[in-house]
Amino acid sequence: VSVMAEQVPPDSRRCSYFFLYDGSKVRGEGDLTREGICYFYPEETPLDQQELICGQLAGVSRCVSELSFSPVRVLRLRRHKFAIRVKDDFFWALGCPVEVPSVSICQLLDQLISLFCFYNGSISLSYQIHSRDILAARWAQYLSRLQSGSTDLHHIFSCLKTIDSTIVDPLLLLKAALILQACQRCPLVLAGCILFRGRVVSTQMFPELTMKVMVHENETYKKVTRPSSSSGWFGGVSSTTVFLTASELQYLQLTPVHKDLQLVLSFSSQLTPAGDSQPLKSRLSRTLSDVGSTDSDLSDPGSAQVPQKGSFEVAGNAVLCPVVSQGATNLASHLNGKQMVEKDEPQFHRCQSSGSDAHGGEQTCSKDTATIDLTSRGVDTERRSCDKKEDGTTAQPLGSGGSDSQHESPLIPMMLYLHRVKGLVLALLVEPHFLNDSTSMEEVYHSSLASLNGLEAHLRTMSPGVPGAQGPPGLYSFAHYDSIQSTLTTNLSAGGGAGAERPFVRAASLLHSHFCTTETLQEAIIRSASAAVYGTRTVAQETYFQQHGGTLRNSGIPNHQDSAFLLPSKARHRLQKHGVNLL
Amino acid sequence: MATKTSLQKVILLGDGGVGKSSLMNRYVTNKFDAHLFHTIGVEFLNKELEVDGHQVTLQIWDTAGQERFRSLRTPFYRGSDCCLLTFSVDDNQSFLNLSNWKKEFIYYADVKEPEKFPFVVLGNKLDVTERQVTLEEAQQWCQENGGYPYFETSAKDATNVAEAFEEAVRRVFASDERTDHLIPTDTVKLHRKPRSASSCCA
Repeated sequence: VSVMAEQVPPDSRRCSYFFLYDGSKVRGEGDLTREGICYFYPEETPLDQQELICGQLAGVSRCVSELSFSPVRVLRLRRHKFAIRVKDDFFWALGCPVEVPSVSICQLLDQLISLFCFYNGSISLSYQIHSRDILAARWAQYLSRLQSGSTDLHHIFSCLKTIDSTIVDPLLLLKAALILQACQRCPLVLAGCILFRGRVVSTQMFPELTMKVMVHENETYKKVTRPSSSSGWFGGVSSTTVFLTASELQYLQLTPVHKDLQLVLSFSSQLTPAGDSQPLKSRLSRTLSDVGSTDSDLSDPGSAQVPQKGSFEVAGNAVLCPVVSQGATNLASHLNGKQMVEKDEPQFHRCQSSGSDAHGGEQTCSKDTATIDLTSRGVDTERRSCDKKEDGTTAQPLGSGGSDSQHESPLIPMMLYLHRVKGLVLALLVEPHFLNDSTSMEEVYHSSLASLNGLEAHLRTMSPGVPGAQGPPGLYSFAHYDSIQSTLTTNLSAGGGAGAERPFVRAASLLHSHFCTTETLQEAIIRSASAAVYGTRTVAQETYFQQHGGTLRNSGIPNHQDSAFLLPSKARHRLQKHGVNLL
Repeated sequence: MATKTSLQKVILLGDGGVGKSSLMNRYVTNKFDAHLFHTIGVEFLNKELEVDGHQVTLQIWDTAGQERFRSLRTPFYRGSDCCLLTFSVDDNQSFLNLSNWKKEFIYYADVKEPEKFPFVVLGNKLDVTERQVTLEEAQQWCQENGGYPYFETSAKDATNVAEAFEEAVRRVFASDERTDHLIPTDTVKLHRKPRSASSCCA
């Protein structure tokens, strides 16, 4: 993977600049700007230039947000645009070429910050405890990790790298899901995921959390497994402290049955995108997991159960009750990653109302934008906002930096347990005292070891997929993005976006950007003189399709003979064999 | 030679539900879980043991017994040093299927001399009171099919489990020695092969 990353020319990387600036270090007239620069990428940038960029961007942001009474999210400067985040005295900016969709660059910055907090805890505390140099190395590591080893398409959608499901027997995915469920029989295990050579095989966590866990997996893959204090005789086991936000933890502590119930609630009220195998797959595993969770409920009637029940009731209410639109600003600001652009706020007003409408049964398929999102991320967000109200705390005052309120909540230390079998890793989020509980650890280790050995042997011997072999090469290009699971299916070669594929990737990027900002947009064709790319989306997925070859009849004005209008039916026809069903 | 640890791969085959996973777990971790899920594909565990002064790492491969997992398990038969044919004494059909399992193993493991390959037969679930297969029937089958050792085991209460695996190790040693005696010079050549090959290339 790292070899691949090195082959990517630097200009194709998303990030041109990234810095963290601590305003508290530059208060007085005589204070140098450089005192406030905690980290600057590229590191070889001359210091005076660093100061110029930091000073200007921080100044402009403050100015704009004070004038507009709202936080600045994106600034454009010549050929670059910068995603901006502010928390207390800390100021982050991430700069990319203007072609990169704003939604993607904002996601990247949010990922980066939440990744840092996941492994280091709160920003201000980290900078009190550790030296700037140590933390600079970590920013560099996270930045390079988020940019490396993926295709341009992965970057555009900020999606997880998953194992190629077309070459893996689905039974092995079931095997992986069962291993995870077996681990959950131990009540100290919150959730887990199984990774193979840096790709997700199965996960019980929501995509943002899986992404964070994968960074550590990647690190341990390169180094020898770090010795852990209590791992002792457990071969291949390592662990590290991680920090979860309250909402992340609360979601994980919901038992699978309850999560499933949330799914059922929303699925029954909505028309599911038919033929999409992905939601079905996750439901299958959750149904199977019911047994496991009942076990853990029975075996642990202790303290853990009460709050779980409580939180479920809150969550249930949140699904059923219409949420006052006032809460939506608060909601959007709590969202993890995905929905950080200003324009997403109206989308949330909308999805709240459509969620409540749905129980009237009047919902049509075309109106269900963003409702399923409630099931995976939205619900836990809603619960957050409900909790907030109960606590009596108020929404963040505007101007304090919008999205930063997600980092505002206290971070709860947990442990990340990793069990490596060659290229295969079982990663579990566990209660901190799990590592001192030798009985639990032994139970988890022994109940999964044989299966992990077997799964590793299966995955290692499966025929490696030939890149781009999923469809007849040259006939057409497609990309299918599942926004619930944050996964991507495509027939583009691993390099994605080189040579002939470049126009497709650019068009997909542009369309994705439009889909993100225009909630009512469902289908679009984007064209140049030589190419036409069709894009369509539902609440749960986005699909992009380009037909190659043949003469493109392009009259310049809409015309029945225009070949672009055949794209939707061609896409429907061609993509069926990839398991993509466009209604 | 005696101080060197050798790796032996043994494979458990038999109908679904006869207790292959339980036998492996009992032997390696000394635990028994009555509610194990169907094994999907293959799984394996390593166990260090000493048999007759030989240090052995026993790699025990547990397989899925259900027909629908056939394509997942068969690629892993190759390289097995011993095959443990398993049935359940309270299930006559699982006993009748032993011949099919033997055939499947010989075919996919690509065994050159099936009559010399070490098989061990295990009749599991000895703890169950209602037997469908008698000791005599089982012994007779073993006798008629090549004189395989037969063990009646119970993964649940650990009866005869270690004995069966240790016997498998002995059988492997015995068949190794036989082949060593038959063609000692060839064995030496095999070890040297890579070296001579590389000198050829250079």
